Amino acid sequence: MSSQLADMPSKIVNPPSIQPAADALPTPTPMIVVDHLDFYYGKSKALHAVNMNIAAKHVTAFIGPSGCGKSTLLRCFNRMNDLIEGTRIGAGEVRIQGVNIYDPTVDVISLRRQVGMVFQKSNPFPKSIYQNISYGLELQGVKDKKRLDEVVEKSLRGAALWDEVKDRLHSSALGLSGGQQQRLCIARAIAVEPAVILMDEPCSALDPIATSKVEELIQELKKKFTIVIVTHSMQQAGRCSDMTAFFYLGKLIEMDATQKIFTKPSQQQTEDYITGRFG
Amino acid sequence: MSINEQNAALSAALKGRARAKVLGLTFDDVMRYFFGGNATVAVIVLVLILVFLGKEGAGFFGQNQVNLSVYRKAGLEYVDLMRMPMEEFTGLTRGLNDVRLNRFKVLLASGKDAEQANAALEEFDAFADQLGAVAGDARGLMSDLTEVVSAVKTRVQIAADKDLERDMLRHAGREAEAKALKSEEVDFQKEIAAIKSAAGAWKPASEAMGAGLRAATAAARSAAWAKGDKLLEKLLLKAEKFAVDLPEVEVRMAAWRWDEPVPYSRSVAAFLYGREWITASFWQDWYGMLPLLSGSLLVAIIAMVVAVPLAISCAIYVSEIATPGEKAVIKPYIEFVSAIPSVVLGFFGIAVLGTVIRSLSQVEFLHWIPGFPMSERLNALTAGLLLAVTSIPTIFSLAEDALANVPRHFKEASYALGATRFQTLVRVLIPASLSGIISAILLGFGRVIGETMVVLLCAGNRIAIPDFTQGVSAFFQPVHTMTGIIAQEMGEVAQGSIHYRALFMVGIILFFASLIINYIAQKVVRKYRISIG
Repeated sequence: MSSQLADMPSKIVNPPSIQPAADALPTPTPMIVVDHLDFYYGKSKALHAVNMNIAAKHVTAFIGPSGCGKSTLLRCFNRMNDLIEGTRIGAGEVRIQGVNIYDPTVDVISLRRQVGMVFQKSNPFPKSIYQNISYGLELQGVKDKKRLDEVVEKSLRGAALWDEVKDRLHSSALGLSGGQQQRLCIARAIAVEPAVILMDEPCSALDPIATSKVEELIQELKKKFTIVIVTHSMQQAGRCSDMTAFFYLGKLIEMDATQKIFTKPSQQQTEDYITGRFG
Repeated sequence: MSINEQNAALSAALKGRARAKVLGLTFDDVMRYFFGGNATVAVIVLVLILVFLGKEGAGFFGQNQVNLSVYRKAGLEYVDLMRMPMEEFTGLTRGLNDVRLNRFKVLLASGKDAEQANAALEEFDAFADQLGAVAGDARGLMSDLTEVVSAVKTRVQIAADKDLERDMLRHAGREAEAKALKSEEVDFQKEIAAIKSAAGAWKPASEAMGAGLRAATAAARSAAWAKGDKLLEKLLLKAEKFAVDLPEVEVRMAAWRWDEPVPYSRSVAAFLYGREWITASFWQDWYGMLPLLSGSLLVAIIAMVVAVPLAISCAIYVSEIATPGEKAVIKPYIEFVSAIPSVVLGFFGIAVLGTVIRSLSQVEFLHWIPGFPMSERLNALTAGLLLAVTSIPTIFSLAEDALANVPRHFKEASYALGATRFQTLVRVLIPASLSGIISAILLGFGRVIGETMVVLLCAGNRIAIPDFTQGVSAFFQPVHTMTGIIAQEMGEVAQGSIHYRALFMVGIILFFASLIINYIAQKVVRKYRISIG
């Protein structure tokens, strides 16, 4: 084991030539295109010339050890990184449905309505279950009570939570269990009908039963939404994603169909990581 | 290493080395006693303060009871029954002056010169004189009796002083001198009987007064010169009502008993609900909280109305909108304000703020502002504005903390749903930090209520309940406050006297007010922590 760890740095310093990601992908309609993206936190470079296509209505998983830039890339897709002081795009573009989202003319607010997000720690507002779901619509000025009722029910059903909470829609969301809270956050995200849902380690704080519920949900959701999920769990990536991208130290090492990544990856680093030799 | 060796090493490690000891104490013990000792000292000092406050204030109600029962026994209360209608009557005659001034102005405006105007008011002046004269007998009787009962009270006081002196002599072991010191026993029954018989003259005097009043008002109503004057009309109505109510005084005088005991509750009520704070008076001392409490509250409310919006807006700006550069300037700058000594602020208030506001209020085109022009330079508004300055740093810092403590993931969740900064602020950040903000406001309020130097210097120090019948200009009246009165009078009172204890009671009330405010603030904060979950 120790010998393999010692081998790693040389591979990082001289990464083997990477196939251009686009060539390897059987993507009919790319929803998100990442084009030679460099990303900086202040002076430190967090993403190095990342290229990838993310297919519409598929689940794409980002895997890799901590600090490899997978969450950073995810947060580029809805410009959540704008909230952090000192972050900037060094070079390259992120195009969603052909639009470069870092173009100055792009309205960040409507971008975020198109690209929803579910966070690592479930973060319902300290409001009622109903208000949590209706929040996004109310922001857009929807006041019609009937419409809100409909959307709340539809979203909760969509997140497989309706049966559990239909009798207490107006009690605090903080009274729900951890898994229910996370599904509530998913319901909240789908209530505004985005095109893409970003999930940043959505199950890392959940127990196995809650996790399997969320994973089933992801399978349902991909019929309607493009899903990008960051996960630390190989099994989760294997179970619920169609495509998997492996990151290491800010670089995209390999991206391919999940089955291929987990059976015969083309890069040695990927294989080492997946088989648990490091990471 | 063999198994045996390992076990030996382990057991040696578990037993531990002998630790260095000083006077049989390890370093840990020393630390424990040092910090524990400091905590104990702090607690003991607080307890001592509480005990001292309670002990010094406790005697007040008993002393006030004695004070009030002397007021009754010596007949002062009896004479005050007559004084009340007489003062009301004085108010009526003062009202006549206003009516005259008004008519005089109208006459001048109609083109007459002062002499002509005075001539035109001759009939009115005759009426005023007639009205003023009706009280003659009653007023004379009242002032005669005032002197009589004052003399009785003085004798009671001299006797009480001698009793005190005798006690002190006994205490010092000078028994013989104590015995030699005789104090006069005042026979209240006899004194009151004399006063009551002299007061028999009240009935005819008051009847004459009522009749005179009725005659004067009836004449004025039918006179041509009085037509169409609304002010006079009001005054006449008041005078007629006064004449109707006058006989009630006799009823009250007849029902009055000198030997009816003054209950303890009356002493408490006289303090809590008393409308007058009069000390070192030749007649009767009153220790009523209301003027001080209302003054304190008025000043504090003005301060909060100014400070809360400013401080909360600053907090929102600094925590949510400002760039790091702005933050680095604004935050320390506002917090620096709290480092200004309050006496310096008070000085600024007198020298600059009070003067500027008053001269502003005298500018002609600003007279539409209610309360302008104002007559006093130092008033509730001046003090309130300065107190706002002292409370802004408190409210700002705590509210800013509350906003900054809203977990980042609430903010992110809101932005991720496509909320603008303003929507996130109003719908998520403020509701989530609301209890923190409320407790910031409460603590700011506590700070304002307890502030002394600024109000002492700038509030004008007139002991009177603000007259809210005058509308907004009530805010421009000088007031006195609970803190101010303690600071001002405590240095001059004799230790153990009723006045001294009354000031302590004010201090206790102040203490409890602060305690309650702080308690509520803490409760609110605790609720806030739970709601963040």
